[in-house]
Amino acid sequence: MEDNNDDLVPQKQSLFPVSAEDIVDNALQNLDEKQAREVTKKAADELVRIAVEKRKAEYRSDRAQDEMRNLITNANLLDERVSDYKINSTFETATGTTSVEIKKSRSNTIILIAAIAIFVLLVLVLLLIRF
Amino acid sequence: MLLLITLALIVALYFGYSYFRRSASPKELKPKNAELMKVLLNLDEEPLDQLFALYKQEFGTSAARYARETHRKWRSGEVRPNKQTFGRFFMYLPKVMSFDLKCEVLRELREEYLHKEQYELTVYTDDWKETLAPLVKEIIAKGETAQLPAPIQKKLIWLADDDAEVASAILVRSQRMEAEQNLEMLEKEFATIDHLLDNTNGKGKVTHLLKLPFGAITLHIKRR
Repeated sequence: MEDNNDDLVPQKQSLFPVSAEDIVDNALQNLDEKQAREVTKKAADELVRIAVEKRKAEYRSDRAQDEMRNLITNANLLDERVSDYKINSTFETATGTTSVEIKKSRSNTIILIAAIAIFVLLVLVLLLIRF
Repeated sequence: MLLLITLALIVALYFGYSYFRRSASPKELKPKNAELMKVLLNLDEEPLDQLFALYKQEFGTSAARYARETHRKWRSGEVRPNKQTFGRFFMYLPKVMSFDLKCEVLRELREEYLHKEQYELTVYTDDWKETLAPLVKEIIAKGETAQLPAPIQKKLIWLADDDAEVASAILVRSQRMEAEQNLEMLEKEFATIDHLLDNTNGKGKVTHLLKLPFGAITLHIKRR
């Protein structure tokens, strides 16, 4: 049956498919007491490590949010004062890297308008020559 | 003369093909001892110290001193470890390693040898969840079933031991949790990006590289 669930974060389910789970269960049963204790400790350590990573990621996220707000302010200021500008910024966020480009180019707009005007003029001239 | 030229062409084609096969996927082929040593010595400071302490305990002070002094050269590839040294680090020590250290060694091997796919996707700020969900599920599923290449498993037979199996399962579960954690945080980031695009009046262009433990997705983000 087709899976229509579009949740981004997968629903909690068994960690492994049955066969893999069996392998791990068997492996766990074959460990001695000392090894089993080490496994439990490592599993707990991993949870702590992930929690620490989460805290670091949240910090990155907050910082990136502030920097993006500043970027908007700066872009709006530039927008009022100059006709051409381009800002490229990169932010380290919680989940990766965000790259932003903000560009305003009045000269490009002028070139585009001029090109359209020349084209229209050319078409008109051709039509006048023909008729 | 023609025969000689034909023969030369065949030989050149054969060697060219062999070279191409070798260079196309170096990590699929038999891993070199020196390459594996580099991966091992890439461990963080704490597990690396544990490794050298164990080496000293098992092989004596003088061997440990030599290993300590040479490990940077092994790591940079300047010096290649001999067969005995490789055997000590990769065949003998795993038998006496703590479970914690074995996990860290395995983490390095997985980091180096499990292929991480790169994807690219265009999403809108109002439909990114629906667009991204199937790809994320696919990446997580692939990552959970990924295995170290067969030549490495064949060479490092301790990978088939029960404790290594359990270590691998713990690492896979950690990576899944990290991936889920990242995705939860993405919601807030998209709200910020939406705000940015909204306030730059169509002049802004945003790309986000979403890093997951099993792969990465380059998102080209647009606003309607």
